[in-house]
Amino acid sequence: MNRFSNRLCFLLVVSGWLVGCQATEPDAQPEVLFVKPTNFPEPVYALDQNRPTDAGFKLGRALFYDGMLSRDGSISCAECHNQAYAFTHHQHDVSHGIDNQVGTRNSMPIQNLAWASDFFWDGGVHSLDLAPIAPIENPVEMDEKSTNVITKLRQITKYPPMFKAAFGTDEINGPRFLQALSQFMLTLVSGNSRYDKWVRKEPGGTLTDDELAGLTAFRAKCSGCHTGELFTDNSFRNNGLFIQGSKDEGRAHVTELAQDRYKFKVPSLRNVEKTLPYMHDGRFYSLDAVLTHYAENVQKTENLDPLLQQNGRLGIQLTDNDKRQIIAFLKTLTDDQFLRDPRFVEP
Amino acid sequence: MRIHFSTILSVLIASFTFVACHKEADDAIDPNTKNSVSIQFENRVGDQKLVLGTPAYKNAAGEPFGITALNYFVSNIALKNEDGTVQKFPNQYFLVRQADAASQIITLKDVPSGNYSEMTFTIGVDSTKSVSPVAERVGALDVTSYGNDGMYWSWNSGYIFLKLEGTSTAVPKTTNANQAFALHVGGYGGGWNGAAKTVNNLRTVTLPITTKATVRGNIAPEIHLFVDALKIFDGPNKISLATTNSVHSPTVATPIADNYKTMFQVDHVHNDKQ
Repeated sequence: MNRFSNRLCFLLVVSGWLVGCQATEPDAQPEVLFVKPTNFPEPVYALDQNRPTDAGFKLGRALFYDGMLSRDGSISCAECHNQAYAFTHHQHDVSHGIDNQVGTRNSMPIQNLAWASDFFWDGGVHSLDLAPIAPIENPVEMDEKSTNVITKLRQITKYPPMFKAAFGTDEINGPRFLQALSQFMLTLVSGNSRYDKWVRKEPGGTLTDDELAGLTAFRAKCSGCHTGELFTDNSFRNNGLFIQGSKDEGRAHVTELAQDRYKFKVPSLRNVEKTLPYMHDGRFYSLDAVLTHYAENVQKTENLDPLLQQNGRLGIQLTDNDKRQIIAFLKTLTDDQFLRDPRFVEP
Repeated sequence: MRIHFSTILSVLIASFTFVACHKEADDAIDPNTKNSVSIQFENRVGDQKLVLGTPAYKNAAGEPFGITALNYFVSNIALKNEDGTVQKFPNQYFLVRQADAASQIITLKDVPSGNYSEMTFTIGVDSTKSVSPVAERVGALDVTSYGNDGMYWSWNSGYIFLKLEGTSTAVPKTTNANQAFALHVGGYGGGWNGAAKTVNNLRTVTLPITTKATVRGNIAPEIHLFVDALKIFDGPNKISLATTNSVHSPTVATPIADNYKTMFQVDHVHNDKQ
């Protein structure tokens, strides 16, 4: 009995001390870099294997903005992924890289990547950690060998201490380099648009009558592909674009399957107001042009998505009023807090 | 003097016994006694030594060619004991590169004593490892470690299992001005996140070891393989460089994988005592 009360006393003291700590020092908690918005589903990325830390985030951010990742030092990740445009390339239909070369596809926004299961328009990369290798080694983008990137980073005095802070020792190697970039990219969560605040019933979460009508029209006409709170079902579909230019076969490039020809990833519509131009090759410069495509110009090409050929009609039936209201709704997905977040700017 | 003689005698007898005992212990098969086994990959072109840059090897189609690079991954090695038990060496991945002599000898550690009569291995990187977390991709699997001699497809996540590069006058100048060819084989049958599976070009090689590899406490065998690059063109499928000279995707690479599966043979084993 005596022993028991001693133990109880000890426990009470310890728990009291713990509670006391929590109550009196809330500011001592480290900043949480990755937060799941309450209206979002669970992330796909295995955060338990590489959860962003302050030091990892800072290292990843430094790397993201460092031109050393390219052959001649001229092109950083941020070149094609500009924060003000939801980390995509503004005013370029297809990516521009080293020596002013151009690629064949529009660079995709970098946002909410913890919820992505495949990367790039054809889904050729299946892990966020492996995604940076593609632009670094693409001859018309950064045209560098990742081995050289690691070698160069070892020679820049600021990096060994940053790797030590992030990973415990100052060794710079491929896995750490890639994990640091992921830690930065994982924190790029856009979930504070006016729409999100409306969903979560937070202050500032008001939608106009036009926007609400647009949401209703959107749910009826567009949410078959642009599903859920991320506004994509992460699938690959042929949306009936006229086959032009590079005659890009999309998903089939990776799977080599005939049924995947002309299928491309369904992109998220978050911040879509800012991510122009649109489609895999950046052919449409306005949301109006996009909706006009779906309303009037869907082509019956190989593997056209069944949702775009219903009731003996190609495309989606949209009146001018529908289009106007849908666009009004889509603009409520713009997340100014994300687009201007000072944590994400060039260090 | 007598004492002295008997002392010497007893010492001699004792040491003789000791040596005999020691020798017996080394030669006995005791699974608790382990040693290493090394495997040497000697790349050849038919009955010639493979030397990078040699201009005039000739394939079965009669096309002359030279080789500038031959690299391949070897993994999932297993040795079969004459008693039927199989010794596996999981989670060990090796990249054999013709340009790097050190990479052509693989060492397996802690192999139990026994007489090994068969070996198997995978050419390439198995599907499990091909989707493993990047933190586990160290050594030969570090995707950032290949320099200009890339063994990884960045645009279609996956390792290049085998690459053969070179030049041939059979390659039309209209196809490649330098008449260079590049045969890259990959494709582990991936189908990430529920997507349809891609082509699987992983191949397993099983080779008899006629002269058994006799692992003992004092014997670390060296298994010497001949690897005939001509078979890349001339196995079950006939490959002509005039038409097949730029292979960079899994589907078109399948006939080449079926060919190179046949290019390995055990030539001899060194069972020298250490």
